[in-house]
Amino acid sequence: MRWLSLLSTAAWATASLALHEDEAGVVDWYKAQIGVPLSHSPSTSPAFHMEPGKPPTEGLLLTATSSNVLAALHPMNGSVAWRYIFKSDDNIVYYQRHNNIVASLSGPGGATLRTFDFTKGHLLHETRLHHPNDGRLLEPDDFGTSVAFASDASDMFVLTSGHVLQRLDPTGDVQWTWTSPDQTSLVIYAKLISTETAVYVLGLTKSFASYTIHVTAVSPTTGEVLSNADIPSTILKGPSELITLTSQTDKNLYPHVVWVEAGSIRSVALVPKLNNKPTSIKGSTYDKIIDIGMHAEGYFVALQPDGSSRVIRLDAETSGLKIVWDFADSAKADRNTDSLYTGGVDKDGHPYVGRVYWSHSLSKASVHVYAPFLADGKGLVSGFTFAFDSNSHGIISHAAIHPAYVKELDLLPYVALTTTTGAVQLWQGDRLQWTREEGLSRIQVAEMIELPEPLSTASHTGDESFVGRLTRQLSDARDFPQYLAHFAKRFATGSYATATSRADPIDADVSTPLSRDPFGFRQVIIAATDLGKVYGIDSNTGEILWSRIFGLGWAAAVGGRVIPVKLFVTRTVSDGREPQVVIVGQRKADNSLVDTVLFHIDALTGDDAHGASPPGDVLQGQDLIAGPIIEAYLLDGDTKTVVLLDEYRQVYLYPDGPEHQKHFNRAAPGLNLPLRTGAPGVRQLTGHRLALGVGLDNRAVAYSTWASSFAPTEEILAIIPRPAGPVASLGKVLGNRSTLYKYLNPHTFAVITTGANTCGVYVIDGAKGSVIYHVALPARGSCDVQATFVENWLVYVYWDEEYQWIGQAKGRRVVSVEFYEGRAVDEKTRSSELSSFSNKTLEVTAYSRAFVFPHDVTAITTTATKYGVTSKDILVANTKGQIQSFTRLMLNPRRPKNKPTAEEQEEWLVQYDPIITDEPRRVLSHNYRVANIRRIVTSPALLESTSLVFAYGLDLFFTRTAPSGRFDVLSENFNKAQLIFTISGLAIGIMVAKPMVRRKKLQEKWYH
Amino acid sequence: MSTSLEYHTLDQSSKWRHLPPPPGFASLASTTKTPSAKAVAAATASYEVLKEKRAWDFAISPAKSLPMQAFMLYMSGGGVQIFSMGIVAMLLLSPFKNLAAINTAFVPFAPGPASPSKANSLSTLPLQKIAYIACNILTLGLGLWKCRSMGLLPTGTGDWLAFESRGPPPELTLF
Repeated sequence: MRWLSLLSTAAWATASLALHEDEAGVVDWYKAQIGVPLSHSPSTSPAFHMEPGKPPTEGLLLTATSSNVLAALHPMNGSVAWRYIFKSDDNIVYYQRHNNIVASLSGPGGATLRTFDFTKGHLLHETRLHHPNDGRLLEPDDFGTSVAFASDASDMFVLTSGHVLQRLDPTGDVQWTWTSPDQTSLVIYAKLISTETAVYVLGLTKSFASYTIHVTAVSPTTGEVLSNADIPSTILKGPSELITLTSQTDKNLYPHVVWVEAGSIRSVALVPKLNNKPTSIKGSTYDKIIDIGMHAEGYFVALQPDGSSRVIRLDAETSGLKIVWDFADSAKADRNTDSLYTGGVDKDGHPYVGRVYWSHSLSKASVHVYAPFLADGKGLVSGFTFAFDSNSHGIISHAAIHPAYVKELDLLPYVALTTTTGAVQLWQGDRLQWTREEGLSRIQVAEMIELPEPLSTASHTGDESFVGRLTRQLSDARDFPQYLAHFAKRFATGSYATATSRADPIDADVSTPLSRDPFGFRQVIIAATDLGKVYGIDSNTGEILWSRIFGLGWAAAVGGRVIPVKLFVTRTVSDGREPQVVIVGQRKADNSLVDTVLFHIDALTGDDAHGASPPGDVLQGQDLIAGPIIEAYLLDGDTKTVVLLDEYRQVYLYPDGPEHQKHFNRAAPGLNLPLRTGAPGVRQLTGHRLALGVGLDNRAVAYSTWASSFAPTEEILAIIPRPAGPVASLGKVLGNRSTLYKYLNPHTFAVITTGANTCGVYVIDGAKGSVIYHVALPARGSCDVQATFVENWLVYVYWDEEYQWIGQAKGRRVVSVEFYEGRAVDEKTRSSELSSFSNKTLEVTAYSRAFVFPHDVTAITTTATKYGVTSKDILVANTKGQIQSFTRLMLNPRRPKNKPTAEEQEEWLVQYDPIITDEPRRVLSHNYRVANIRRIVTSPALLESTSLVFAYGLDLFFTRTAPSGRFDVLSENFNKAQLIFTISGLAIGIMVAKPMVRRKKLQEKWYH
Repeated sequence: MSTSLEYHTLDQSSKWRHLPPPPGFASLASTTKTPSAKAVAAATASYEVLKEKRAWDFAISPAKSLPMQAFMLYMSGGGVQIFSMGIVAMLLLSPFKNLAAINTAFVPFAPGPASPSKANSLSTLPLQKIAYIACNILTLGLGLWKCRSMGLLPTGTGDWLAFESRGPPPELTLF
């Protein structure tokens, strides 16, 4: 009996866990992303790389991204060819491709060198060049790091930390190391030029008010210094003003260093003895030189004071610099934006220089590509405009070109654009090939929103004449035969929507507005990024339904950015109309002013609910507070009102109508607002209440009522509120039918702190600041405690460093804590409706158990269902790139340490086992590698059994899970045909038997 | 058209009509001897004693079947199944049924030539009836005990948890 029940427990638990293979890709979707390309420096920005002699379709677009990824995209369709995700403390600072190898430097000062196979992205080898703590942190990141490939072999010269040069062979072994003799000197090396005779290391010497170029020539074979020289020069800003040029076509040409000094371009040829003198280009003045990533081909672009640009190259005839092209109309003008310059090489090695700009008058973007070798070597510029959508992708921040198909007098280059909203686009000529919304790797706030039911056709209104009604009903009846046929088919075949099929809407017509499927699995995900864009994503497919750019308001003139802080659902489907959201953002203008702006959006279409901005245009926000906010809340009740607190703790409401005011004024005396206060590092939690009408403009003002007493070294890391979901059961019934009443104090929340050598987990009553639960965990340098809190259940995961006892190992632990009212079983304090002034709020019993957890966790949450009846699973994103679910059964803190008794078995308690094994059946994410998940959002579906799960971080992943099994739908293998056959068989049996029985009864009456 | 069967013709024409009647069967009214009054009184008294004895037997009859029912309950096991539920239902219902029919059940044992209304009243055979009620309560107790051991009696707080409700909190904390 006991074994049977145990067995059934196990079977029940596993049946609900495993994801079936045929459901993968149907109930879930996954989007691999690379992050927003870093476009500030040529050493990390996107560039096309082609394999010589192969068609352009086999090339790759390489880039390093702000999400710390080195990635290669297929230019044909924009899919990810490969990507390598660096750890967060090992940020990529440099990459370079040479033939079949991509080399990258990452970490402080370029601590780690990795080489990758160009086509497949396999990591070939990884060399730690110095300990990350020894690296010199320079600004910008890529300063002081460089890689150059030896001209004869595939050896690499690697410059790290601005003063160490090493030669490494392809296996990663260091051949020799040259360290700048005087590390305390003011020389910081920044660039490398590799030639057969010498490796030139270029650096800057800090002198009074400016820098001077310093060059050291090092022997490539031995690493000995050949010569040292200071080049008389004045560099004002830093290494970005320095361009090195070499020529691949003419090996006899010496490499050059180019810089701008006092309005003229100066250059010097580098020879091993370093005895050349700098020369200038005569003729005109220049403001700036732009590195277009073409040093190997010897091209760069120089800007004149009026903004007009010239292409200059290292020329074999003159053995020096030569102006080869002037871009027409490139001077600064009101009708154009400033131009971006970029370079590219075709498959034959011919260089090209491109210029990209946005034309205000045409509202289109333009590309001009200069091909020096065309038109018999005289050079040719080919230009075209393309319809770049600035209203949905922002401003072009980087462009990379690749002339894929070169004709005699025409160029049709690939142009890869990176925009300020994080989109990566590929244009071929004026045709858009693909767009990747990499901004989605930087989602700040996201929420899932239920869709309305499909609109019933033609709801008639009020009075209509008899004829009118007749015609309407006739026209309605037009669909009747179709409906009948559909009904018959559905009845006969049993082809209903099932819980494991794709959630297609009931009426899959494109023209109708968004509507939900029968089970409510289809929702719209609203996600806002810190790049100033908000997306509406179809949870069914991951497709972007709409997207809007946040407008900057007055800050558009000076520049700035909008960082979304909170996202509130101010109207849901249950309110009877289209759902709406309010995004609270902080607008940081470039002149350092911070404002609070609100964007009120229709969730289904992305339209401005406020009506200020037409569809397709930039979304204009409403400036609510001229200053930052401390916190924003949603007051849910008769109305849904956004409550904002400015830095003087004054209350602003949105919407501000009389109805909302009234609702707020009624609720205000009972509102508690726990806030983080104090300077960074010594923050405390302070509880606030509201005083109505005492602030400026009769605003309510929050005043403090209590303060936490964290130790001075303790810093608040995170506040984890308890989601206000429905609680189906107020207690836990034990085997002997006594009850543990759940502690459901609505004011509680969890706080994670970091201290001197401990991490703290607190549960605090937000109404009066009393600590209900507190543990101090051993810290590993920094605290990476992840916690989730729902109903009366707190779960936290941490790394346990302590192992002072024999047999005690360090490892990850998950601790599950449940809070119950009173001190004993059957005691109740009615905590959920208790006044916060009652002493009984402190009568709590906490049960806890710790388990060993298999993986490090980056995000943790619980499932959410409509009525809260379904048991809640813990969902976890781990560092292995998986989304896992763990049942409450397993994490029950009341699991007995001895064999469960009959009463405990009735509660489904299984014996405590400290180890939670890494079971593949618990993985929701199939075999996708869902990387760097920062948060998991769960949302209830219409089916009580099912919870929708959306995970975001670098990648996006969506699935649905049924923690207690799909108990509210017929199982997949329910045999409908059998049921119908049985019933119809019985009916036929009755029909046949009925006359026979009647006859028999009559006969009996006669003969008895 | 209606037909009627005339049996008397069958009687008269029967070839067996001259047979003597069976022993103890008299077609003619026999002559009755009136017994003596004393014998009648004795017979009546012994009959009353017998009735009273039978009434007591009947009153404690539910108690007599208790061991058997207990054994049946033991055999039916602790699970909530159709068999055990049937027995429990019988145990719970039969006392009430018995008590509802208590007066009619005791009518045959009513002392003397009681009129039907008197025989049916609750005050006849009071001791026996009290015993009968007690025994039925014993049966009911056995059924309830079984219910309790099967966990069917709502005795714990857990059984009433679903009916508990909580109002909204007087104060709110916003996060």
